Amino acid sequence: MDCRRSGDVPLYFDGELDPAATREFERHLDDCDECRATLVGLDALRRDVRAAMPRVGAPAALRERLLALAAPARRRHWPAIAAAAAVAFAVGAVATSVWRTREATRDALARDLFASHWRSLAATSPVDVVSSDRHTVKPWFAGKVAQAPLVRDFAADGYALVGGRVDYVGDARVPVLVYRHGQHLIDVFVLGDADAAAVAPTSRRGYTLDPLVLGHQPAAVVSDLDAEELARFAAQLAAAEP
Amino acid sequence: MPVLSWKDAATPGHGAGPPGDDRAAGIGELALRHLDAAYNLGRWLLGNEQDAADAVHDAFLRATASGGSRVDGNPRAWWLAIVRNCCLARLAVHGRERRNVALDQVAAEHGRDAADAVVPPLDEPIEERLEHEQRRALVRHHLARLPPEFREVLLLRELEALSYREIADVLDLPIGTVMSRLARGRAALQKAINPAANEVDDGL
Ligand SMILES: [Zn+2]
Repeated sequence: MDCRRSGDVPLYFDGELDPAATREFERHLDDCDECRATLVGLDALRRDVRAAMPRVGAPAALRERLLALAAPARRRHWPAIAAAAAVAFAVGAVATSVWRTREATRDALARDLFASHWRSLAATSPVDVVSSDRHTVKPWFAGKVAQAPLVRDFAADGYALVGGRVDYVGDARVPVLVYRHGQHLIDVFVLGDADAAAVAPTSRRGYTLDPLVLGHQPAAVVSDLDAEELARFAAQLAAAEP
Repeated sequence: MPVLSWKDAATPGHGAGPPGDDRAAGIGELALRHLDAAYNLGRWLLGNEQDAADAVHDAFLRATASGGSRVDGNPRAWWLAIVRNCCLARLAVHGRERRNVALDQVAAEHGRDAADAVVPPLDEPIEERLEHEQRRALVRHHLARLPPEFREVLLLRELEALSYREIADVLDLPIGTVMSRLARGRAALQKAINPAANEVDDGL
């Protein structure tokens, strides 16, 4: 209990240090047994608490009830929400809000995909696993996502595989393959069928979102490629074989 | 040379919602994105699942009713603060004494669920399974006995992975108070569940 940096351990552990301070403190950790032991103790405690109090997902019924309320809520005022809720419960007419829900789903999905791409551009590295060849990328996804993506490198055609990461789309963890074409970074999100069905071509702030297929897997691509470059890339992906 | 790397030790956020642009989200969408966090908060404040679901429903209506009057702070913290207030309002109606038993009830439920869900079936020897369940029961026992103000901060941090700022917003406390309660809660729980061990564990 002598290290003068011991007070920084919880800040580091809880992610409260800024990136520069984090790196600096990690150098300290390399040399300080005491702070490292404190960190291990904090981590053990967190594991104990999580094992003792497992979180559960909210019940589907609750989610659906709120979803039915959420869509109209965007445009109406409070008395209308209450009225709509009363009606929806009275007649069980969840269906009345289905189209709005679908529209909301599509917007939310697009927002998640663009946000993921922009976040990765702003990050130190756009990938969590670097591709030395595709054999390093594919196994990396195993166990991290429900379905491992098809991993192909198109470097010979000008679209080099940079690597991969996992990101959230809605509540799902999805694999993202990252390609480079000249100065452009391209994200390919491999999606489940339900999400894939909700992808519509969209553009925001100079970036585009387009549905496509990667071999037989439904996917979406976010990039700032022009239409011609994108079409060539999409053709490569579609032709990829397992 | 450490056997356990500190890089392994720093586990990423556990209960954090999927990252997304909360600020751009509508209120309903924001609430749905953090529905699991809201529901779990309700569960351990109220002690049963039905009350938790009802409280989250109340909170949802209250949040959407507030229209655009969103505060400048963190949106997730804003939403969870409403959930917490709805839970406390329910407790006030149903009687104060329930608050004290809430965690024990959740713990009892957890005990059953954990035995089924968390422990891998069959391939783990029975003695180890018992040992793990005993450990979980011990942690729950001492968690339930922590002063409530420490417990709340600890659970928001360790289970819901809220930042200090978010916890301060949810509980309407200064951030320094959050930090000291977290430190004291952790120290107390560590001491209670590892009575034999010294603070420094160099066995790993
Ligand atoms: Zn130190």
